[in-house]
Amino acid sequence: MSAQDLSIDRPARKHSLALSIGLALVGLNVAVALLTLFWTPYDPLNASGGRLEAPSLLHWVGTDRLGRDYLTQIMIGARTALIVGTGAVAIGATIGVTLGILAAFATRLLDDVMAATLDILIAFPTLLLAMLVVAASDSASLWSAILALGLAISAIVARLTRILAKRVLRQDYIVASRTSGTSWPGVVLRHVLPNIWPTLSVNFALQFGLAVIAEASLSYLGLGAPPPNASWGRLLQEAQGTVYTAPVGAIAPGIALVALVIGMNLLADGLRDVGDPTRGRSR
Amino acid sequence: MSALLSVQGLTVRAGDKTLVSDLSFSIGAGERMGLIGESGSGKSMTAMAVTGLLPANISVSGSIVLDGQEVVGADEKHLNRLRGVATAVVFQEPLTALDPLMKIGKQIAEPVRRRLARDGQRPSRAAIDREVLDLLDKVALPQSERIANAYPHEVSGGQRQRVAIAMALACRPRLLIADEPTTALDVTTQAEILRLLDGLVRETGMALLFISHDLPVVAQVVERVMVLRDGVALEEGAVVDVFASPSHDYTRTLVDAARMFDEALGGTGS
Ligand SMILES: Nc1ncnc2c1ncn2[C@@H]1O[C@H](COP(=O)(O)OP(=O)(O)O)[C@@H](O)[C@H]1O
Ligand SMILES: [Mg+2]
Repeated sequence: MSAQDLSIDRPARKHSLALSIGLALVGLNVAVALLTLFWTPYDPLNASGGRLEAPSLLHWVGTDRLGRDYLTQIMIGARTALIVGTGAVAIGATIGVTLGILAAFATRLLDDVMAATLDILIAFPTLLLAMLVVAASDSASLWSAILALGLAISAIVARLTRILAKRVLRQDYIVASRTSGTSWPGVVLRHVLPNIWPTLSVNFALQFGLAVIAEASLSYLGLGAPPPNASWGRLLQEAQGTVYTAPVGAIAPGIALVALVIGMNLLADGLRDVGDPTRGRSR
Repeated sequence: MSALLSVQGLTVRAGDKTLVSDLSFSIGAGERMGLIGESGSGKSMTAMAVTGLLPANISVSGSIVLDGQEVVGADEKHLNRLRGVATAVVFQEPLTALDPLMKIGKQIAEPVRRRLARDGQRPSRAAIDREVLDLLDKVALPQSERIANAYPHEVSGGQRQRVAIAMALACRPRLLIADEPTTALDVTTQAEILRLLDGLVRETGMALLFISHDLPVVAQVVERVMVLRDGVALEEGAVVDVFASPSHDYTRTLVDAARMFDEALGGTGS
């Protein structure tokens, strides 16, 4: 055995282009969201110019039909989007991963019951769920929207976790680890979670984007954040009536929304590849 | 003194199919025993029954007393106290027996940490790391730091099996179960791993249950063998006796096959 045989050809962990773009898009969103906590170009609640002004040096994206600065609204929308996406995914991930792992360990009968229940929950319309949550909490707020979206996500995450965890639990290295005395909780923490994380994290990014989009629909129906919380979804809906006279009002929040969703997906994809030691080998 | 492992009337069933039937044997402390038989004869089932890790669809009856404790019907808590303490296992396929996403050093560190904790220590990272490197040295892996930092797919098959042996040694078990540890390796590596196992077992004084379908391989490392076919023990005895004068046709075929294989290779066997 020569030293040559031992050289470990691990590909350099170079950041891919996708990862860089993802980082930039998401980073910009976070930066803007943080900035709005201290400063916005104009007062978001009061008119700062004429109605439906076209973009100008004073109002880069123009004004809405109440004369409020659009850029200010979009910047605050970035904050709302982050809160909604992060909150909904955090709730969905916590509940979903826990349930999914439990289902993976459950006896045959219990597992079947859980699988069927999850399928029903996933088919249950998010909108209806949101209405129920709002009804249960008396009033629509950003938080009721986040809770509803989080619950909807948790069913999807639970189903995915269950399938992924079962696949990992069948692997030889689980038995090998068990023979050396690793307990079930140890197996979950040391082997199952790390091995399902690459797939889960990409799904979380997807759910993040869907949550931000879904919040827009909920806002439109009065089930999301009430004014004055600007959300891109509400901006889009408000711009509907004036889309021909002032198209920028619809285009700008749309671009912001798409940019964040794409950024999130690129980031998750890129991080998964960087975090995967088997990358560069056949997968 | 009673045996380290005492198996009495072990029967393993999957549904109404009997995989192992009425098997009895025992292994004393420091003793080396072989279990041979062709593929599908129930060798792995027997090994997994000893660790209490048979799949859920499989039922066990009889008695397995390991280190003074009954394994059959014992609950997880008791079994977990035996696993890694009384026994450790080296498997056939070293690639799949290692977690692909965990560095090798970390995989070995866990049983080390557990053993030190069991001995009432609160081991420091440095102490664990030192022992991991020692173990890698012990299984003759050069550049141990480099191996510790590698992922399983980054080292060769033979090196992976050495890592798996290091993981088993990390437990300092009283009985090492090696389930076809050389079957997945090429002939040269096979010989190296056998020599390594043989040396380590002698050095540490642990008992060995060596499983293989390959007679010459078994003969190199054990004192006593048991021949298994379709889950039934055909004969048992000292290696020299069983191989020199097999009392059963099935054993004779195994011996003949091994001889013919040896002759074909130019008689380089043991
Ligand atoms: N999970 C299982 N359920 C039912 N039968 C099994 C299972 N695993 C293995 N078997 C059967 O048990 C028999 C013995 O298998 P095994 O102990 O793995 O043989 P080997 O001697 O090659 O190690 C084989 O016939 C195999 O098909
Ligand atoms: Mg086997």
